[in-house]
Amino acid sequence: MIPQTFDYSAPQTLQEALALLENGERKILAGGMSLIPLMKLRLAQPAEVVDLGRVPGLNTITESDGIVHIGAMATHHAVETSPIIRAHCPLLAETAGQIGDVQVRNMGTMGGSIAHADPAADYPAALVALEARIHLVSAHSDRTVGAADFFQDAFVTSIEPGEIVLDIEVPVEESNEGSRYEKFPHPASGFAVVGVAARVRKSGDRITMARIAVTGMGTHAFRDHAAEQLLENGASIAEAAAVVGASEQPNADLFASADYRRHLARIHAARALAAAVSRAS
Amino acid sequence: MTMFSSTQIPHLMRTMVAGILGMPENHLRVITPEVGGGFGSKLNVYAEEALMCFIAKRIGKPVKWIESRRENFQCTIHGRGHVDYYELAAKRDGTMLGLKLKLIQDIGAYHQLLTPAIPTLSVLMMPGLYKFKSISADIIGAFTNCVPTDAYRGAGRPEATHGIERMVDILAAELKMDPVEIRLKNFVGNDEFPYATTTGLMYDSGNYAAPLHKALAAVDYTARRAEQVQAREAGKLMGIGISTYGEICAMGPSAALPAGGWESATVKIEPSGQVTVMTGASPHGQGEETTFAQITADELGVGINDVMVVHGDTSVVQYGIGTFGSRGTAVGGAALFYALQELKAKIRKFGVMLLGSENVSLVGGSCVDQSTGKSVSFAEMVVAAHHAKTLPPNTQPGLVATYFWEPPNFTFPFGAHIVVTEVDRDTGGIAIRRYIAVDDCGKVINPLLVSGQVHGGVAQGLGQALWEEAVYDDNAQLVTGELTDYALPRAHFMPFIESSHTETPSPVNPLGVKGVGEAGTIGCSPAVVNSVVDALSTLGVRHIDMPLTPEKIWKLIQAGGHA
Repeated sequence: MIPQTFDYSAPQTLQEALALLENGERKILAGGMSLIPLMKLRLAQPAEVVDLGRVPGLNTITESDGIVHIGAMATHHAVETSPIIRAHCPLLAETAGQIGDVQVRNMGTMGGSIAHADPAADYPAALVALEARIHLVSAHSDRTVGAADFFQDAFVTSIEPGEIVLDIEVPVEESNEGSRYEKFPHPASGFAVVGVAARVRKSGDRITMARIAVTGMGTHAFRDHAAEQLLENGASIAEAAAVVGASEQPNADLFASADYRRHLARIHAARALAAAVSRAS
Repeated sequence: MTMFSSTQIPHLMRTMVAGILGMPENHLRVITPEVGGGFGSKLNVYAEEALMCFIAKRIGKPVKWIESRRENFQCTIHGRGHVDYYELAAKRDGTMLGLKLKLIQDIGAYHQLLTPAIPTLSVLMMPGLYKFKSISADIIGAFTNCVPTDAYRGAGRPEATHGIERMVDILAAELKMDPVEIRLKNFVGNDEFPYATTTGLMYDSGNYAAPLHKALAAVDYTARRAEQVQAREAGKLMGIGISTYGEICAMGPSAALPAGGWESATVKIEPSGQVTVMTGASPHGQGEETTFAQITADELGVGINDVMVVHGDTSVVQYGIGTFGSRGTAVGGAALFYALQELKAKIRKFGVMLLGSENVSLVGGSCVDQSTGKSVSFAEMVVAAHHAKTLPPNTQPGLVATYFWEPPNFTFPFGAHIVVTEVDRDTGGIAIRRYIAVDDCGKVINPLLVSGQVHGGVAQGLGQALWEEAVYDDNAQLVTGELTDYALPRAHFMPFIESSHTETPSPVNPLGVKGVGEAGTIGCSPAVVNSVVDALSTLGVRHIDMPLTPEKIWKLIQAGGHA
């Protein structure tokens, strides 16, 4: 309820922030939707919190050369309502709109959410399905990592000490694409019991490309290549959905057993695919 | 010693904590700041409350105790926890004859303030709104190593209502009768009040068919049944659930309560004409600050903004019992009404004196001579009472009256809730399509506050029906100890509640009010479960225990109704 004592700094520039992160046990504060509850429960007890809220320019959303750049400090609400994202990667806007509740969407940030990497978070499914890249910087490095490699385990990402998520790079969805995020929310936490992001390209009636990514089911979001290949080889949505999660050992908790979770993943995969296909013109 | 506590019962708190600590009761002051809801969990004196006073006294310094959410889940009382076995006897035409109940209550590890009273209230209310020739009930209290149970919004009546309303639906299904028809057939009739139940209660007044008919019209029952036929043909699982609930409120005659069932009110008219009301009831979100100001303004003919309602400070307010069991307005409001009558009689004496006539009456605050038409204003009489240059015979200066009112009976509100649900065959998820609540809490003083009570009550009923459950692991550790695990309905989940009322005044108190704080919770859970069972009835489902979690429903569907 009351966090352990900690030091607090609010750098005014990115350089200042990165310099701070170079040494010591410091934790980055973005929207605070995950870190603050963890600190209150004392599951996280950072010696120092570095608040990025006063660093300018970290929440911009732009598009250039077929890539949408989303600043890490953009709120879920901004992602949900941004005309650029709605026009160029509607799957992401749709996913952001299903996170938590209004208050969480107003406060929480995309960078904060993905850096936290909750196994039941919504963004990972969409980012993996969209084959987005995460732009990481430190005082002396600058690199991008594919979303599928970024999410490594429960609450574990490929962020190295000293690095922050600067922005997220999402390829523009093509005109013959359709996409959809289908989620079964936990009534208490609002997290995904399972969530499935589906993205397809069509040529005539044929599905030429399929991306199916699942969150909430395992330790981290994953692409189901087997189901994707079935669809690309002409199988029906029902046939493809029926194999989703076959190679995963699903999480089990009070609310949903492993069998039920796998079943929900397949139901939501079928629903997401059906909607995506109908949206692909 | 000054103690600030978030409680429903400041005066009982003072008596008990002073007793526990062995200190003079008049040396302890209990102040309840604005309390944002109690729901029974604050109708207790907790060990921590006495301990903080003990520690403060011992170290001679202020002490503050704040629970974390997890501590709160583990250290304040839980509700419900009943396992009920029912048997019902009825004739083939649907006439109900007898009801038998074995009730096992999970007491938890310790008795709290009212723990054994909860199943007692359940048994008293087990006939619901229906006529039974015979009733039999056994209560078994089981001590367990879980968190103690006690009063939670409804306190025994939701359990009773859930039982009887489920049994009525099961009987209707058994006899292939419409659940509306079987209810109408068994209601206590309008001409039978006051009605003595087989459990020993005296129902004060009722018109049980009225809210049911109003709810049926609101939902357009015939059209919904037709829609259900079509939905079933399309493979959808649509349900229509009804509950016609009754409750026992306005706790209550002192003979029936452990520590007094009366309530007190003091009304002070200040020299300037403003009015201070002090109530022994301890409203904590119900809005009696407004309701009592309305009653006062109506009786005295003053403006509502001239009335200040004070409560929840044992050094300022005369002794009172508190707010629980939907008693605030029905008992505390009645005490206020009678205090106001005493003041009006005294004001009238000053009117008689100032007008020099016995033939006077109070009209809208003024006193009017019926023969001459001359009048004196409220302000003139109030000033006369305070300046006291001359006084009416046998009359003291000042305008203060205190009344302690002992109610002659409980009140018995009722109502009808109808819920339309759709069950997702693939996931077991439940969507609430319509929620109709028609409540009869007697005379409605403030419609907005009454609807607010219904809305909040329904939210808690929905939580109970759909999700809420205290779960322990094999080592008796509470697993549902945070709000991330324990699901409550959030604002974005809530359906639109179509709330309306019928008004059948209670003869028990002069205001005709009955109480509404718990109605929504009591009416809700059986309506929701009846609706979902109705949706799944084509699979042969006859009953489902709460909570109706999606996986439970999905497994039931997977098993063809036979999980």
